[in-house]
Amino acid sequence: MIFADGITLLCNDIQVDPQDIVMLVLSWHMKAGTMCEFSKKEFTEGLQSLGIDSLDKFREKIPSMRSELKDEQKFREIYNFAFGWAKEKGQKSLALDTAIGMWQLLFAEKQWPLVDHWCQFLQARHNKAISRDTWSQLLEFAKTVSSNLSDYDAEGAWPYLIDEFVDYLKENGVNQHGQINDSSLN
Amino acid sequence: MKKRSIVIEPYRHRVALDPNYAEKTWKILEHAIHEIYNHNSSQLSFEELYRNAYNMVLQKFGEKLYSGLVTTMTSHLRQISQSIESAQGEIFLEELNRKWVEHNKALLMIRDILMYMDRTFVPSSRKTPVHELGLNLWRDVVIHSNKTQSRLLDTLIDLVLKERNGEVINRGLMRNLIKMLMDLGLSVYQNDFEKHFIEVSKDFYCCESQKFIESCNCGDYLKKAERRLNEEMERVSHYLDPSSESKIIKVVETEMIENHMHTLVHMENSGLVSMFVDDKYEDLERIYNLFRRVPSGLTIVKDVMTSFIRDTGKQLIMDPERLKDPVDFVQRLLDLKDKYDKAITLAFNNDKTFQNALNSAFEYFINLNARSPEFISLFVDDKLRRGLKGVGEEDVEIVLDKVMMLFRYLQEKDMFEKYYKQHLAKRLLSGKTVSDEAERSLIVKLKTECGYQFTSKLEGMFTDMKTSYDMMQGFLACHGAELGDSPTLSVQVLTTGSWPTQSSPQCNLPSEILGVCEKFRSYYLGAHSGRRLSWQANMGNADLKATFGKGQKHELNVSTYQMCVLMLFNNADRLSCKEIEQATAIPMPDLKRCLQSLALVKGKNVLRKEPMSKDIAEDDAFFFNDKFTSKLFKVKIGTVVAQRESEPENIETRQRVEEDRKPQIEAAIVRVMKSRKILEHNNIIAEVTKQLQARFLPNPVVIKKRIESLIEREFLERDKVDRKMYRYLA
Repeated sequence: MIFADGITLLCNDIQVDPQDIVMLVLSWHMKAGTMCEFSKKEFTEGLQSLGIDSLDKFREKIPSMRSELKDEQKFREIYNFAFGWAKEKGQKSLALDTAIGMWQLLFAEKQWPLVDHWCQFLQARHNKAISRDTWSQLLEFAKTVSSNLSDYDAEGAWPYLIDEFVDYLKENGVNQHGQINDSSLN
Repeated sequence: MKKRSIVIEPYRHRVALDPNYAEKTWKILEHAIHEIYNHNSSQLSFEELYRNAYNMVLQKFGEKLYSGLVTTMTSHLRQISQSIESAQGEIFLEELNRKWVEHNKALLMIRDILMYMDRTFVPSSRKTPVHELGLNLWRDVVIHSNKTQSRLLDTLIDLVLKERNGEVINRGLMRNLIKMLMDLGLSVYQNDFEKHFIEVSKDFYCCESQKFIESCNCGDYLKKAERRLNEEMERVSHYLDPSSESKIIKVVETEMIENHMHTLVHMENSGLVSMFVDDKYEDLERIYNLFRRVPSGLTIVKDVMTSFIRDTGKQLIMDPERLKDPVDFVQRLLDLKDKYDKAITLAFNNDKTFQNALNSAFEYFINLNARSPEFISLFVDDKLRRGLKGVGEEDVEIVLDKVMMLFRYLQEKDMFEKYYKQHLAKRLLSGKTVSDEAERSLIVKLKTECGYQFTSKLEGMFTDMKTSYDMMQGFLACHGAELGDSPTLSVQVLTTGSWPTQSSPQCNLPSEILGVCEKFRSYYLGAHSGRRLSWQANMGNADLKATFGKGQKHELNVSTYQMCVLMLFNNADRLSCKEIEQATAIPMPDLKRCLQSLALVKGKNVLRKEPMSKDIAEDDAFFFNDKFTSKLFKVKIGTVVAQRESEPENIETRQRVEEDRKPQIEAAIVRVMKSRKILEHNNIIAEVTKQLQARFLPNPVVIKKRIESLIEREFLERDKVDRKMYRYLA
């Protein structure tokens, strides 16, 4: 098993920051069960599937792994993979802090303007773990609903947490560009 | 013998046709026609005239005969027409009528004389038959003469208007003339009379309705309208053609009713609303019967009624004063329903649409108040505890049926169930029910309405009471002797689950009763091993014999908690609240309530408190009140009667009900998904709502949360392609 220390060493060798999102991509390729650890099987089979058999090759592969995030389909798979990977073993839901961290990482890549509001909202109003359904539906929400919420459908079978988020945004007067209005100006 | 031959010889003399034959014959006939028109027909020989006409036709002079007829008749009719035209004033109609009658008589005679021509020459040369010809000529020459045409119409109309204004007219004359027009042809009647009659009537009723609307109140106006309708129908039957009836009725309906519907209904102080308020059944019946004649008439009545009931109900529901007395509140609801039921029965012909409107109005406002279920249960409680005392069986059923009617309006039937259970428990345990039959009857009604599940627990409560009674008998039979001087014990054993749960922490029972309690416990557990018994000290009551300062004895009926407190004073003169708490282990909030009822209620203050403040503080001291007096020997201090909940209690009950609903919603979702396998979100909401609506109206947000919970527990999943669809996972 490779644990956190080993991963730090690895990151050193391949010249990648351990917090870099490409590590997530790598973990995805390896079908890693939990973050911050690789089993021998996961590691070796993962590298094999990537066609990596030397550090040089490893370093070369990094940019292409990074670009995989740009692919819609792959991003979705990686995103959904992240839930199972980031949560505690044996837990059904993902702890809020971890979820927030992951979202900020993932949506920095994907450019969702409402991500900060979302995280603020969760901390203010929810304060509980995140279910898998909420996690996966959030991506759909970010992809299909515009950030000024003009095409949000209240009957759209969104998880209730997302409905509450929309209410929260409306209460706080979020305008088109995802900035909160000063309600006294309205 | 000379042979004879029989020969038919022609006439020896020639029958020469008189060249003037036609003319001569015609002259005879012409003369006859004159005589007929001059009322001299008695001198004529029908047979001769007929023969003459016959011969003319035979000799091929039909044309001459016919045209001669036309000319002669026409000239006579011209004369007649002039004489009619010159008739003055009232004579005009009479003259017209007389001449018409005469003409008809003449026409018949003429036709009879000319019958042969009518049957042979006329059809073959396609001429108008004699009778019809006579009518047409009358029409063209007399009726449609310039002066007569308009004068006739004006006169007839004028008479109608006079009659409408109350004058008496010659109806027989009218009838004859109208019939004359009909005889001349339906189009003559319609064009020469009916069309204008309708137009004029429209104006007439338009004006009249305007006048009345401004000067009458609704009830009087409607009476007038009804009168006019009847009048017009009678007019038609007396002297107009039946085909005009529907037309003139429509005019009256439109002008007097349809055009003023809104004004009438909304008239201040006399419109529909005040009719309801003052129970004016006659007026209501009239408005119903009149408005049903016009399109949308009843819809307006129904809508106004509905919104008025809704507003009245809403006011009642929201009135804080009314809400202080739940029993009175419910009684007012019942009175309101009775009032409108009566109106619909007496005045609206039991019309189903109105019944439905009434029901939906009630359903609307009853559910505006979240406490309606509780109040209805309190009403029932009051009736079953004392209200129905001495009331006959049939009347009891009537009251219970009315309660069921209100129950049906409730959206939150599960709320009602919760309160009903609580109140029933109190009634059963305090032995305070007026009639067992009435209780059972209501349970049966609830079962019929809601199914077995609704009432199974309630029935369990009754069963427990019976079983407990039998158990007590057995206990006393067995141990009665040994009990001797011990306090008399009566136990009800309640099956957990059937009775409303109230967790009751154990309190310290007085030593005086511990013995007999233990005896019972071992007796019971001997008969039912494997069960657990716990005393519910917050639900029992006790009778205590107390002797006060001056030796006055009283019997005190108290709750179990109160008993525990009071018994302490056999061994202590002064106890603080805190000390009492420690000795009895009664939870502080309950203890405070208990002490309040023992020390601070006038007429029931068997304890004295220092200081004499209204609230109970933990350091307050309590003393046995030697100076206690009461006019009654038996003093009731226990409070086991069902009461309106305080706000915090209310909130708590609601929360419990909401919690109970979650599993029911989940069960419904699973049932729906199991049978449909895959279903869209909104459809799930609709199906689940439909399944549960007999008990309560589920909130779509709550349904959504339950769906998500079921997804998390892997009963359901979202469809991969359409995220709005859910799939059942077996």
